[in-house]
Amino acid sequence: MGYGKLRGLCLFFGALWLIVPLHPASAAAPSEEQMLRRIMREVNELKADKQQDEEKIQDLEQRVGAIQNQNHQLKEANQKLQTDTTAKIATLQTKVDAPPSPEEFGGAFDRYLGTHTFTVTGAAGGQFVYNQQNAALNNLHHDSQNSFFVDWEPMILYRPTDWILFQGVISTGFGSTGTGVDLSTADFQILANKYLTVVAGLFDQPFGDWYETQSPMWVNRFVTAPLPFGVESVVPPGEIGVQLRGGMQFGALGQDFDYTVWGGNGPNYSSTVLGAAVSSPTSVASSQSSGKSIGARFRVYPLPLEKEWGRLELGASTYNGEWNNRDWLTSWGVDFNYFIDNLQTRGEWLEAYRQMPNGQTSDNRQGWYVQAGYFLGGLNVPYIPDQLNGYLQRLEPLVRYSGVNQRGVSTDDLAAATGIGLGGTQVGLVPDFGINGSPATYAPHAREVALGLDYWFAPSIVWQNEFDIELPRAGGVFVSPTGVETPAGATPNDRAFLSQFTVGF
Amino acid sequence: MKRILAAIVLATLAIGYAGVPVSAQENLSAAEHRRLFREGAKLWPVYCNTCHNARPGSEKAPYEWDQIMMHMRTLGNIPPDDANAILVYLKSR
Ligand code: HEC
Repeated sequence: MGYGKLRGLCLFFGALWLIVPLHPASAAAPSEEQMLRRIMREVNELKADKQQDEEKIQDLEQRVGAIQNQNHQLKEANQKLQTDTTAKIATLQTKVDAPPSPEEFGGAFDRYLGTHTFTVTGAAGGQFVYNQQNAALNNLHHDSQNSFFVDWEPMILYRPTDWILFQGVISTGFGSTGTGVDLSTADFQILANKYLTVVAGLFDQPFGDWYETQSPMWVNRFVTAPLPFGVESVVPPGEIGVQLRGGMQFGALGQDFDYTVWGGNGPNYSSTVLGAAVSSPTSVASSQSSGKSIGARFRVYPLPLEKEWGRLELGASTYNGEWNNRDWLTSWGVDFNYFIDNLQTRGEWLEAYRQMPNGQTSDNRQGWYVQAGYFLGGLNVPYIPDQLNGYLQRLEPLVRYSGVNQRGVSTDDLAAATGIGLGGTQVGLVPDFGINGSPATYAPHAREVALGLDYWFAPSIVWQNEFDIELPRAGGVFVSPTGVETPAGATPNDRAFLSQFTVGF
Repeated sequence: MKRILAAIVLATLAIGYAGVPVSAQENLSAAEHRRLFREGAKLWPVYCNTCHNARPGSEKAPYEWDQIMMHMRTLGNIPPDDANAILVYLKSR
């Protein structure tokens, strides 16, 4: 544009310079010299203008360059932004598309639910008992019986922090002997450190396996308890006191050792005569205890896991307590539990010696049981429909032999033990398990063969069927409330059938 | 009698004291979680079958397992590391 203007001006003045001499006659025209000077001045002015314009052009060119540069940079930044955004969108998309991991979901769900410290579990069951009572025991009334029972044992677990747990079980039963409610257990469990848990309150006797780990309805493979833990308990079924317990691995994975030591209120008996029943802490028939007992139990699991030899548990227990303020009960026992694949076996032996007041002979008792069960899970009978095989595979046939030897049995206890079914009125029993009610089970030398057939719907839902054959041996005495002893004489060979549907929840 | 009991309490506390947290479940790294899960999967069919049929993880919510495992750990005197691995396994099923 500057050049154009300059060129225009040059043409104009050039033309003027050519035209002027063509009119020399004009008298008012300036002299030639003046004209020339004026032209020169204007040419100089034009030169200065041109110089200025060139500088402006240079400046503008520089600015255009800078702008072009900036533009380039912006383009690059924009490009990068676009690539980044696309990548980010793609990641977000995959995240949105992918389901949350179980932990993420679990965590989120836990948060949604809030802090839960409270759980209700337990067991419930319905039972039918038929008992064919062949003969009397000590001239007591006998009669074949059949009855239905229901039992509900809710358990509450409350865990306010990760090192304290409260657990409590209330046992309720309804049947021909009436409705019964009992507090089975209620204790606090405190994790003091890795190898020590303190348990305080009312608990199942940690002696042997039976009371503590086998008595719940859905855990016990049979409907009834083995004789030494049922109607003729050798050691007290429960205790109020404090336990210290813990376990540790001593070798390879699976090789564990554990201990439980406890002290408590001590044993109670229904009376001070020979053969009186041991009672549970919550059905204290008479309070002879002066608050002293001490017990210990040790278990060892010698088989390493990776050898796949199954799991073997060997246990030993002792329980000693003062009763009647000066006399002592001492007891000990050994037990085992072994399972591999579909086979499961267990057994216990226990002995108790009770010092007696008033010059009576000491009250000695022995008890034992062995049992075995085999899940037919692997069974495949040829030529029968698959569905039938499916049912058969849920069956577990069982057999148990149990017995008790005791010097005497109190006739008071016999008179009180009238019912069949789920505990309730039984002297000294925690009503956690069924009893067949046969008088034969109260004989001083009771023996029982129990055959079982369980149908497992789920790991803790089972329909159990049991057939009991009572085979008491002769011997022993019956003891009156005043301590008069009469020989036991003939004992009845009763039969009983029990069927129970039970759920552990 | 009281002295025997006190001695047992003190001895157990002394032997047992390790000053370690009793349950360290929170904030596990992914690798640690996988290791515990695998160990728990090995232990569950054996340890949880000792007294009764093994109950599967799907039966209970994770928060319920926190409580039940503490109960089972006490009943079975299960070594704490094993109980922890089983808990991780049960909560993830
Ligand atoms: C030492 C024996 C023993 C071992 C080992 C054991 N349990 Fe139990 N379990 C029991 C007994 C006994 C009950 C019933 C408690 C009651 O009713 O008083 C029970 C109950 C339960 C219940 C019902 C809820 C409750 O707290 O009562 C669940 C679920 C359970 N066990 C799961 C397990 C799992 C999982 C394991 C493996 C870590 C396990 N158990 C190991 C003895 C055991």
